Amino acid sequence: MIEIALQKELTAADGIMKLDVDLRIQQGHLVTLFGDSGAGKTSILRMIAGLMIPDDGQINVNGSNWMDVKKGISLKPQQRRVGFLFQNYALFPNMTVQENLTYALEKGQDKKIVDELIETIELGDLQNRKPGTLSGGQNQRVALARALVRKPEILMLDEPLSALDTKMRMKLQDFILTVHKRYNLTTILVSHDANEVIKMSDEVFFLEGGKIIKHGKPVDVFASKRVSGKFQLFGEIINIEKQDIIYVVTVLIGANIVKVIADESEADSMSIGDKVIVASKAFNPLIRKIEE
Amino acid sequence: MDWQPLILTFKLALTATILLLVVSVPLAYWLAYTKVKLKPVVETLVSMPLVLPPTVLGFYLLVALSPSNIFGHWLDHYFGLRLIFSFQGLVFASIIYSLPFMVHPIQAGFSNLDTTLVEASYVLGKSKIKTLFKVLLPNIRPSLLTGIVLAFAHTIGEFGVVLMIGGNIPGKTKVASIAIYDEVEALNYHTANSYSLILFAISFSILLTVFLINGGYIKRFWR
Amino acid sequence: MNILKGNINSLNTSGRLTIVTLDVSGFSLKSIIIENPETVTYLRIGNPIQVMFKETEVVVGKGSDIAVSLDNRIDGVITEITKGVLLSSLIIDTKAGKIKATLTSESVTKLDLQPGEPVTALVKTTEIMLSE
Repeated sequence: MIEIALQKELTAADGIMKLDVDLRIQQGHLVTLFGDSGAGKTSILRMIAGLMIPDDGQINVNGSNWMDVKKGISLKPQQRRVGFLFQNYALFPNMTVQENLTYALEKGQDKKIVDELIETIELGDLQNRKPGTLSGGQNQRVALARALVRKPEILMLDEPLSALDTKMRMKLQDFILTVHKRYNLTTILVSHDANEVIKMSDEVFFLEGGKIIKHGKPVDVFASKRVSGKFQLFGEIINIEKQDIIYVVTVLIGANIVKVIADESEADSMSIGDKVIVASKAFNPLIRKIEE
Repeated sequence: MDWQPLILTFKLALTATILLLVVSVPLAYWLAYTKVKLKPVVETLVSMPLVLPPTVLGFYLLVALSPSNIFGHWLDHYFGLRLIFSFQGLVFASIIYSLPFMVHPIQAGFSNLDTTLVEASYVLGKSKIKTLFKVLLPNIRPSLLTGIVLAFAHTIGEFGVVLMIGGNIPGKTKVASIAIYDEVEALNYHTANSYSLILFAISFSILLTVFLINGGYIKRFWR
Repeated sequence: MNILKGNINSLNTSGRLTIVTLDVSGFSLKSIIIENPETVTYLRIGNPIQVMFKETEVVVGKGSDIAVSLDNRIDGVITEITKGVLLSSLIIDTKAGKIKATLTSESVTKLDLQPGEPVTALVKTTEIMLSE
């Protein structure tokens, strides 16, 4: 069990924000921190890693005390066994893919793990190339592998997929899930994509203005009630217009735009920017192969 | 023509540059990452030789290092070092005089480097020292090269400080720039021209090499 | 969206598919879903459940003994008709609660639907969604 309590005053774009969170994360779970940018997600990760010092709070990881402000305990980042995947990859430009991974080895650690990880992320052919010559998706995979070399107790991923296109995203999501299970990791993912959260995580913490306003299983948090529909998508309303006696609601889902018919009473309760769930029965949608 | 002043000049520049590198890397690292309020004061002190007339610097060094003063006496008493009118004194003065030329490029190199590289290294369990040598320094190689060459070239060209603190002792403190002055005084324009030409050519080639390397011309050429 | 409250009456499972029979204020409604009692906890006989279907999926029938393949039939009386150019919206008052239906204005005219008229609301088994 990982118990985290953090308080810190952060200077945000619009003045001071007080971050105050309590997180309990079960060993082996993949949890998400979900919320708009500026909600404090990245700061939480940085405080867990020891890269930022909170004003008050404690971090207890599987019985060992990493930080306790009142008792004056604070392990250095080097002493906390964490893996951190930075938004900009933070790969060392002077080292090859393989050197980036071997750099992360601990004294006396078996080098086998490096080869195993390179194989897992399917980058064997590129292992002697430098990060500057690789694509964003490839660099992100290298960074993921490098974060795993030390066998961290907590793997933290700071919006690792936001800069990638849909196809690469899906592939990386699968890689993350694979390594999460294979190495029995406890993983904290920062994301602002509801579909990603639902696909990836066991539990989600919904952050707003530095506070957790909701947490639980993703489906429970995003949909107020569980629905039997197998065709459920999470998106954001980008337009509502009245046509005849009905309303056409345009919803942005991932990179796709869909239109849904709504009744007057429903349309009245919605506005542009609202996060919505679009549900249908698996029996209704048509499916057809795209001719290439 | 006497080659001794030229040899002495390069011996001085080489020694000063090596020592400067040892001093400047930690200093630049501290300046780049410290949050101490004293930082602007230290930055100003480091930059002073850029604007101060070399004779002012030389004068104060002369006064401070003289064995009749506290600091000079202390050096003489405990280390047997007499820095005035000696080669060691010239090295010491050159280090101070060329400090900004070495510190500034390296400090800029550190500051421009993405801080997440450092954080990534720490999170991977690596110490500050290991991070400095394996991650930071290899990634600011162009800045290091610029610093080394600027400090070297600047030391070759110094005159005022050397004259004030070193005097004009052949084989000991008479460097090329002073030799040129001497020759002109003695109306030996031909010899003065030989020294000058050599210094010009060497400085030009050194600087050109830096621009070629940092500009990536050489890298492209070898590919 | 129409939401009615009911209870689970019986479950007929085959692999991952289940046809759920529900009792909604005396009406027997059926829904087919891709779940079985092992995959979700709410599939228990007697459990209260919400029945949801979209107003655009409601078929309105007039008269008795309508011979169509639709299993789900709820009798009621039209209380309100809002006519648009192409579409019209009906509110049907039933024992299970109010049901909204969106039809083409043409079919409203063709069937000569008027407020106060008894009708049957019909919904396909594949159109009914369940929610806890």
